[in-house]
Amino acid sequence: MAILSKDQAQALLKKALSYSKADECEVNLNGYKGGNIRYARSTVSTSGEEENMSLSVESRFGKRSGVATINEFDDASLEKVVRRAEEVARIAPESPEYVPMLGPQTYLPSNAWFKSTADINPEYRAEAARKSMALADSKKLTSAGFWEDRSGFSAKMNSKGLFAYNQSSNVDFSVTMRTEDGTGSGYVTRDVSDVSKLDTAAASAIAAQKAIGSMNAKAIEPGKYTVILEPTAAVDLLQNMFGNMDARSAEEGRSFLSKTGGATKLGEKMFDSRVTITSDPTNPEIPTSTWAGDGRPHEKVTWIDKGVIKQMPYSRFWAQKKGVKGLPMPGGFIMAGGTQSLEDLIKGTQKGILVTRLWYIRAVDPQTLLYTGLTRDGTFYIENGKIKHPVKNFRFNESPVIMLNNLEALGKPQRIGGNLVPPMKIRDFTFTSLSDAV
Amino acid sequence: MPTPFTFVRLQYRSGNWDTDQRMPSNLLNSLVEYTTVPVVEQEKVISLESAELFRYPFCYLSGHKLVQFNAKEKANFVKYVQNGGFVFVDDCNHDIDGLFARSFEEQMRVCFGPKALKKLPNTHPLYKSFFKFEEGPPTTSFELNGWGDDLVHDYLKAYEVNGRIGVLYSNKDYGCEWDYDFRNKRWLAEDNTKFGVNILMYALTS
Repeated sequence: MAILSKDQAQALLKKALSYSKADECEVNLNGYKGGNIRYARSTVSTSGEEENMSLSVESRFGKRSGVATINEFDDASLEKVVRRAEEVARIAPESPEYVPMLGPQTYLPSNAWFKSTADINPEYRAEAARKSMALADSKKLTSAGFWEDRSGFSAKMNSKGLFAYNQSSNVDFSVTMRTEDGTGSGYVTRDVSDVSKLDTAAASAIAAQKAIGSMNAKAIEPGKYTVILEPTAAVDLLQNMFGNMDARSAEEGRSFLSKTGGATKLGEKMFDSRVTITSDPTNPEIPTSTWAGDGRPHEKVTWIDKGVIKQMPYSRFWAQKKGVKGLPMPGGFIMAGGTQSLEDLIKGTQKGILVTRLWYIRAVDPQTLLYTGLTRDGTFYIENGKIKHPVKNFRFNESPVIMLNNLEALGKPQRIGGNLVPPMKIRDFTFTSLSDAV
Repeated sequence: MPTPFTFVRLQYRSGNWDTDQRMPSNLLNSLVEYTTVPVVEQEKVISLESAELFRYPFCYLSGHKLVQFNAKEKANFVKYVQNGGFVFVDDCNHDIDGLFARSFEEQMRVCFGPKALKKLPNTHPLYKSFFKFEEGPPTTSFELNGWGDDLVHDYLKAYEVNGRIGVLYSNKDYGCEWDYDFRNKRWLAEDNTKFGVNILMYALTS
């Protein structure tokens, strides 16, 4: 059984720690049970289920650190893995970025685990895939999809008295649908913590609609357009931006938050006033672990408030060096939005382009966060509040920083990739060329 | 006090002359930022049929569609250029076989003869008139594969009068490249309107 209760995990970690002879020792225990099902050409091609638990030990002598892992848990094995970590630590070079292990911490109660997801079995997965394939078949579409679920626990204990335990569950589902003639393609992706919130048939209907709607796309001239980015399209650019907010990168002059002379843009207004990005490990839509991998607590944090940079994530080393508290990178971000639906945003658009998805995104200039990539799986021309016709896919060159300065409207946020992201209406989104890809 | 510079946009009857509406204010912003040239803050639209055109040393002409001058437009265009005026012409299609390109080039043949437009060498003074562009005309983000043609125009063309450019002709779609809210310029790694400053300074000082 790979899932241990808080008490069971605590007992096992205590025992492992009892073998330590190091100056500092930290033990991490992770266990999960999960499975997947994959289908292509409307037929299941692979499926599987896995269950595993593993223990990772970090031992330290002064500033030397060694790590060893094991997935056997009898007493001899526990002692063996601790010794192995100590052996590695003794011969390791001193870390120039050593920080002492944390002592006891206080964590928010976690709400990231759902029995519904933990109870998923192969029949459940098969039925979820069948519903999606049946919908595709009913519309003469070919479907290719992937479902993966996982539920488990993480626990951490160290020789300074820290103990943390968290349970979580997650399901990811995505499906691409193509028309028989290959000219139309649609895509949808959904992720949930509670599987009872996921309806693969309803999600698949969106992919089907986009596939049928995107047949025989017309080429229109590349240029700057007002776009409506669905959350699936917006999330990658936002994640790239958010992932580049690290304080050290900014202070070392390597990021979009850098200023000359080691200063940063902390406290500066960089975006439209409607841009507010927060994180909250207990948000019921996107619950995450209430503690970070390094043991620091995750709290409710406002990172960007009404366009102003309020916080930057810090590693423990950089926070100590700079003499600040330093918050860890959160598990997911929440971008505030409005109340409008995607349909409302389309209705309010005189001329624009609806983008389902962006992919193959690559960095052009890390310091200005300029990215390039392509639209895919349903790109549509909007005129006078209505979708008029599909358009050929575009290559884009755009920076999320500029994008969030060219904001026209925000819709109601929805969960995507473990984040809450609103559909966005953006003016002057730069499409630089056409792509023949469907 | 010198006469402030006015950005004049030429209105012609045959096509869509009113492209890239924020581009002029963006270029004027750059003139203010980098030079001491006093500017009129608003662009001025002047009909190519109007004699008012002759009061200004610089004009801009662009579009996606047909360029076919009527008799009055043609006469004014020729006279303006021959008298020392400077016209910056920018093809919004950035497509060498596009309607704007084909029809404008035909107009140049009609106005100035079959070999009027010539490729400018990258050593031309235009590329050193304010900032230095050793590689010739800077690329734009709209060039590569814009219509799937994989064309990059690594040159500009010009019609010169007495050794000075009278008509500067670009297929690079600088208008679209420079058409954005000037407040977003601060987010660029390098101000992409600098070449526009060269064009304006060349027109005003050569």
